[in-house]
Amino acid sequence: MMQNAADNAATLSQAAPVLRIGAVDKYFGATQVLQNCTLDVGDGEIVTLLGPSGCGKTTLLRCIAGFWDADAGRIEIDGQDMTPVPVNRRPVGVVFQSYALFPHLTVARNVGYALRMRGTPASEIEARVTEALRTVSLEGFESRYPAQLSGGQQQRVAIARVLVMQPRVLLLDEPFNALDAKLRSTMQVELRQLIKQLGITSIFVTHDQEEALTMSDRIAVMRGGRIEQAATPDEIFDRPVSSYVADFVGTSNFWDAQAEAGQVTLPDGQSVETGLSGKVRVMSRPHNLRLAPEEQGPWRGVVLFQRHIGPLIEYHVEMPDGATIKVAAIRQDRVRPVRDRAAVSIGIIDSAQVSVFAD
Amino acid sequence: MADVTSSPAISGPGLGEKTLDLLLSGRGIWPAVPSIIVLVVVAVIPFILLLSLGFSDIEVARGEIVSQTFSLNHLTNALSDSLYWTTFKRSLSLALSTTALCLLFGYPVAYLFAVGGRWTRRVILILTIAPLLTSGIVRTYAWLVILGGRGVVNWAFLKLGIVDSPLRIMNTHWAVLIGMVQIHLPVMILPLVAVMSRHDNRLIEASENLGASRLGTLRTIIFPMSAPGIGTGAALVFTLSYTTFVVPQLLGGGNYLNAATMIYEQVVFSLEWSKGSVTSLLLMVTCLAVLVMISLATNYFTGWTKGRDA
Ligand SMILES: Nc1ncnc2c1ncn2[C@@H]1O[C@H](COP(=O)(O)OP(=O)(O)OP(=O)(O)O)[C@@H](O)[C@H]1O
Ligand SMILES: [Mg+2]
Repeated sequence: MMQNAADNAATLSQAAPVLRIGAVDKYFGATQVLQNCTLDVGDGEIVTLLGPSGCGKTTLLRCIAGFWDADAGRIEIDGQDMTPVPVNRRPVGVVFQSYALFPHLTVARNVGYALRMRGTPASEIEARVTEALRTVSLEGFESRYPAQLSGGQQQRVAIARVLVMQPRVLLLDEPFNALDAKLRSTMQVELRQLIKQLGITSIFVTHDQEEALTMSDRIAVMRGGRIEQAATPDEIFDRPVSSYVADFVGTSNFWDAQAEAGQVTLPDGQSVETGLSGKVRVMSRPHNLRLAPEEQGPWRGVVLFQRHIGPLIEYHVEMPDGATIKVAAIRQDRVRPVRDRAAVSIGIIDSAQVSVFAD
Repeated sequence: MADVTSSPAISGPGLGEKTLDLLLSGRGIWPAVPSIIVLVVVAVIPFILLLSLGFSDIEVARGEIVSQTFSLNHLTNALSDSLYWTTFKRSLSLALSTTALCLLFGYPVAYLFAVGGRWTRRVILILTIAPLLTSGIVRTYAWLVILGGRGVVNWAFLKLGIVDSPLRIMNTHWAVLIGMVQIHLPVMILPLVAVMSRHDNRLIEASENLGASRLGTLRTIIFPMSAPGIGTGAALVFTLSYTTFVVPQLLGGGNYLNAATMIYEQVVFSLEWSKGSVTSLLLMVTCLAVLVMISLATNYFTGWTKGRDA
């Protein structure tokens, strides 16, 4: 799995990774919050930490920024060990979840803060602040105070404030949380384009899988303080390494099966190869399934209800054992409308796309 | 007001509720009516009486005022009397230095409170509030024990051989200043603590992340953001120490003249009520002038708190 991640980083950047997180552990008292976290981030790459609440995303970010020390392992930026480097000397910029803008400073002074603290000459500060505000399309807001800005504008200021110091690594902790759904999706696209254009190596934290899929070159799915899988969005989606990852990213159907002689028999009669043996869990995405009239297959159930999601229709099919299987179809594919309570059979479109897990 | 409260009986139910509603609505001046009445009775009326005393020649016979005629004599006399000028200058410099010292000593304590853990906070709060539970007079007397000729400080200095004979600290300007700072310190610390403990720790982290040192963060973030607390604390300490009577009287040994002790002597000893009321008036006007300056300065530094479209 880690080999996989390293390969990906290499294909993206060719060069040595900008940020190396090596076997980082972190404890709060007796509880271990980070466990052997290892992740390389290549130059200009955007990696998302994705995971449920409390899995340690913020903790890992805070260790990289230097607010907290890791209890074991090391964090390197451009090959330099960050352990002895204090927060204010690290080439790391943080966009905080609540933005943390300085309420007593104007937009221009907020954005110029990092430069003033570094003793940059006033004329240069002004030019760079203007430049940074243009990058986030906030010209003309220089003399406002943060309280006089909308949520989206405040967030742009927070981003400009960090960009102005040209950090080597940019850390963003759920930066869209305070925005409404619509603004959120525009900002996601805008921010990704901006970061890509500036070529800043970034780590982005979210617990929203859609956001992760939109923003990232690679996604690191975290579980209870460990990085379960780090790979491209496609790979995470199509080849999850565990049922946990499959369940967390995208919609999935699970059922139990037996593996015998390197084969698992699927409920519709097909079979797939596996390296596992004994009891296994099989997963298929809803769009890899299709409905057919009842008599055409052995995997039968009753349509409970159907849900329209944009161009997709999602059928919830109740199986005899009480489980629900979700089947998705493109609207045009619906040759014959399926009525609720209709008896149907389910077929697997491509058995190679089915995943088999040990747990 | 009397009309409003007596009307429900006449107009039937609902109006009492209406009155209460009006009081609680926060519109107009209604919620402040009770305190306005109290203020008029205990502050405005006495103030007018005081004014009338200060601007008139009175004749007193057997403790009663028998005649009263308008006159500016007391005011012009006071303004041309150099004793007034030196006394008020002394009061002013004493109050300003007390305010400055309270800020100097109080700020670090409030800072500790803001950054400290639960126990630090508790200890600071107890140490700050406990002195307020005893009377100012008692606390001032305690300084007699500490600073007196045979007090703790002189005893220690003599034992250590720093001085040959006891220092005269009591009954000097220094004794008064020390006492004033100690008595008024909690009044400075409390508003500072109130403002600083609301600080978002993330602002401090953001500032460090942007490259600021500890000192840089203190100078550019923590200190400016505590300006409202500094303003409130300074205004309170200044008012209290500019008009204080107990500390200069006890620690100054009866011959330390500030504006308040001057009023006391004029009214109680020499029975010059008009003079006393003019002095009070001058004390009040000068105090207000300084308060206005403090509040203007605070406003200048806290323009950002005015919210949107300020
Ligand atoms: N200061 C702290 N002291 C003790 N435990 C902490 C502290 N901060 C976080 N934790 C614990 O560490 C774990 C990871 O927290 P963290 O904030 O990293 O989660 P997260 O993945 O960012 O969650 P969320 O999505 O809710 O922000 C949680 O179980 C949390 O309770
Ligand atoms: Mg978090």
